[in-house]
Amino acid sequence: MNGLAVEGEMVIDSEASIVAVRRAIREATTAMGFGITDVTRIVTAASELARNVFYYARVGSVRWRIVDRAHAVGIELVFEDQGPGIPDVEQALKEGFSTSGGLGMGLPGSRRLTDEMELVSEPGRGTTVIVRKWRR
Amino acid sequence: MESDRISVIRVKEVLLVTMPADPDDPTVSALQERVLEAMSGGSTPLGLVLDLSAVDTLDSFFARTVAETAQMVGLMGGRTVIAGMRPSVAITATQLGLRLGNAETVLDVDRALDLLHEPGATR
Repeated sequence: MNGLAVEGEMVIDSEASIVAVRRAIREATTAMGFGITDVTRIVTAASELARNVFYYARVGSVRWRIVDRAHAVGIELVFEDQGPGIPDVEQALKEGFSTSGGLGMGLPGSRRLTDEMELVSEPGRGTTVIVRKWRR
Repeated sequence: MESDRISVIRVKEVLLVTMPADPDDPTVSALQERVLEAMSGGSTPLGLVLDLSAVDTLDSFFARTVAETAQMVGLMGGRTVIAGMRPSVAITATQLGLRLGNAETVLDVDRALDLLHEPGATR
């Protein structure tokens, strides 16, 4: 995509890193030419998912890159941790379900704000959440 | 310290807080503490005007703190008015499923002050 290299990786291990992730994703999506509303959607989803990593696993990471698919260009974010994992993924994707005392809208909200979400989790092993947003 | 960026200004019996563009969690939490301190000092203000015009990301933690603060201000007899939310933030907040509790919303700080000062504006 015009030789634009939008990719990066960041450790999530503090409240400050949640802000750092928001800034990096804002910069990446703006550079990719996403509109302001989509930039806000992606950054907000990234904020929710980064906070989940920090709250549940204390340490984890996010990687982002451009993805190309027949006539579509988008951004992919991969959040990974080796935390406690999610025993019931279906339940975690339901509105209002939370085990951290939060509002329980992080995962379902992030799914609505992006175009695709994949969630893989194994209790005791960790969680991986992948979201993608296509540029209109 | 980021939370130093939160200042609560008292103007004409109203508390005015302008949030920075991208506050971290301690800064958002500081908002609640500063507001409640200011609500209890001296004569009780009419309410709180929260200026969000600079804010470019409103996530669930931020929204929950705002909703809780509005509820606490309400219990102390004040109203909370949120001013200046950007269109992109409003669209995202709605899609994320955020609720701002019993806070009222207006376009800008001028309208917020008018609302709190209008005759018969009591609760």
